[in-house]
Amino acid sequence: MTLFHFGNCFALAYFPYFITYKCSGLSEYNAFWRCVQAGATYLFVQLCKMLFLATFFPTWEGGAGVYDFVGEFMKATVDLADLLGLHLVMSRNAGKGEYKIMVAAMGWATAELVMSRYILFLYLSLFTFISFDWKYIQMSFDSNISLVHYIAMAAVVWMFTRYDLPKSFRLPVTVLLGLCVYKAFLMELFVHVFLLGSWTALLVKAVLTGSISLCSLFLFVTLVHSN
Amino acid sequence: MFEEASEVFDNMFKSSFPLTFIVFIPAVLILVSPLPAEAAHEFTVYRMQQYDLQGQPYGTRNAILNTEARTVEAEVLSRRCVIMRLVDFSYERYQKALRQSAGAVVIILPKNMSTMPQDIVQQFMELEPEMLATETIVPVYFALEDEELLSIYTQTLTSSSSQGSSSAAEVLIHTATANGFQMVTSGAQSKAVSDWAITSLEGRLAGTGGEDLPTIVLVAHYDSFGVAPWLSYGADSNGSGVSMLLELARLFSRLYTYKRTHAGYNLLFFVSGGGKFNYQGTKRWLEDNLDHTDSSLLQDNVAFVLCLDTLGNGDSLHLHVSKPPKEGTAQYALLKELETVASSQYPEVKFSMVHKKINLADDTLAWEHERFGIRRLPAFTLSHLNSHREVQRSSIMDVRPHVDLRKLSRNTKLIAESLARVIYNLTEKGAPGDLQIFTEQMMQEEQLSSVVDWLTAQPRAAQLVDKDSSVVSTLEYHLGRYLKDVRRHYVKADKRDPEFVFYDQLKQTMNAYRVKPAIFDLLLAFCIAAYLGVIYLAIQHFVVLYSVVRRITTPKTKQH
Repeated sequence: MTLFHFGNCFALAYFPYFITYKCSGLSEYNAFWRCVQAGATYLFVQLCKMLFLATFFPTWEGGAGVYDFVGEFMKATVDLADLLGLHLVMSRNAGKGEYKIMVAAMGWATAELVMSRYILFLYLSLFTFISFDWKYIQMSFDSNISLVHYIAMAAVVWMFTRYDLPKSFRLPVTVLLGLCVYKAFLMELFVHVFLLGSWTALLVKAVLTGSISLCSLFLFVTLVHSN
Repeated sequence: MFEEASEVFDNMFKSSFPLTFIVFIPAVLILVSPLPAEAAHEFTVYRMQQYDLQGQPYGTRNAILNTEARTVEAEVLSRRCVIMRLVDFSYERYQKALRQSAGAVVIILPKNMSTMPQDIVQQFMELEPEMLATETIVPVYFALEDEELLSIYTQTLTSSSSQGSSSAAEVLIHTATANGFQMVTSGAQSKAVSDWAITSLEGRLAGTGGEDLPTIVLVAHYDSFGVAPWLSYGADSNGSGVSMLLELARLFSRLYTYKRTHAGYNLLFFVSGGGKFNYQGTKRWLEDNLDHTDSSLLQDNVAFVLCLDTLGNGDSLHLHVSKPPKEGTAQYALLKELETVASSQYPEVKFSMVHKKINLADDTLAWEHERFGIRRLPAFTLSHLNSHREVQRSSIMDVRPHVDLRKLSRNTKLIAESLARVIYNLTEKGAPGDLQIFTEQMMQEEQLSSVVDWLTAQPRAAQLVDKDSSVVSTLEYHLGRYLKDVRRHYVKADKRDPEFVFYDQLKQTMNAYRVKPAIFDLLLAFCIAAYLGVIYLAIQHFVVLYSVVRRITTPKTKQH
């Protein structure tokens, strides 16, 4: 990709993070360093997940067209480690609930952006000549969606660990938690079963994330303002 | 540092964006479904000939390529790669591309040449020598068509032909959806191949009855020629000649195994290489045998040399001579026998003698027998073509369907019968014209067919057949089955004054990368800026959403 195109994709991916950081008031709390710590935790958790996957899940010898549902399901279960990581980050930060959530989510999502997209794009634009492909723009959109997803996930984890969570909320919170973890798996399922095109898949992902985050927002507001 | 940077961005985003633009562009981006992902298409391309013959360069000089693709209809062709299909190919378009110093020309050939209508094939065959006659620095490539290449061609065609058109809005939409292609070849610049050895093969059948027997030499060149070496299969010219030679070798070796039919003539068979490059193999063989050895069959008593060239089709046979044979010579005897056999056994064949003097001022010699003629050996060439300038002799369109097996086998029989009548002196002994020496069982049409099939299965251009090639070793094996003393003969170009120079990089891999024009990047940047503006506004006013949700949820909790 040309350097200009790299600039486009980078702007598309990164600016919402930047704007979120600025507008959520985190800069007033000097939370930059804490976000970096959250990012470091992300890296550590990913490393552990990969080691675990490599050790306990040998490569499945399924046929070319067969989508190994059970195998992929098990692999997605390992993503529970993400929740643990988020919980760890949040428990180490003192402060209001919103502050904790935002710090953890921002740090986590930014680390993911850097690791999975930024380095890739930079490599592609500087060292190789790759044809133009819409998938790079799609990846940048996807990172925007991930930001919202991680904020929602952090909020749900925070709610889950609250001691004053009303009994009636236990179930929806658990359901949302499950959805967050298995969202990637569900997306692959949809794409495989309905044979969605890439843009449509992006749209479905956005809708799914939007609905998860809206539900968690509802629950959060109710929880915070119920007392 | 961070705060300063953020302030700068803040000021950038303070301006407002027109709403219609914000609504329209993301919809366009999502609805414009991109074409199925074919980021780079890799395909093999075959380069046009490049060689020097007797110091004169021919063909295309360059090999590397890294240019944008266009078709001929586009206005600006310089430094672009011009793609043409064979059906649309014409000399004027080719000249147009060359005049505007195009970066390269790629001609797309259909996978199955025989599906092309005859007139296009004929037109292309006539253009081949013209393309080669002018030395050009523009690399010309040939590629075989497949689906992706065809789609690349049609996309390039639409974008090239609409360059001069219509309104600004159409141009805008067009740049957003258009796909440009960058064609890149892998490989280095072409350079001369040093120490290339052209291989020829000889074998013999010794006659019986004393020393100093007359020798009959049968010659056919096995290499092929076309505008692209890797695509020259040379079915009729000269796959037919080689297969006929092998069949004659088989027939006469059978006759010579029995004492009763062992004749008093030596038969020398020569399969020469480099035939299409002015008969280099034959030339060097003659020099070695006549100048550098003490005794050779060629030095003593040569009855005649019969060269076989392009005999796989047609209903006429021409015996090309440089000097009409005198009465009483073996040459004259063969001429008469050929006439007799043709008129009595194969009336549909029109046999004639064509007299053409050797013109040493020409760049290249006409037929192979002229090489022997220069060395004062009596020789002629048998061919169904009337003139050596016929374009069928050096065309990539000369593929297997050009050889009619029945006609090839009929011609083989005719020649075998005539040779037998000369060798056994049958006319003098009073044998009638329609006596058939070789019965049906002796002629093996399947063998002939399989040899022709094998020969046309691979390109046999002289630049591609080196001494380790399977073509040479298989021919050697075949000759060894029937003949004695099968020997190889090598020709290497002279170091200081080379008669021929071949160049490499004849087959390369070309990649077609999709690229978008620069305007597209700007357009995309614009759209992304609009999208980011929306996001900024959304995040700024997140508080509104928050309070809405709060208002929805508070009445519920009040009821608890």
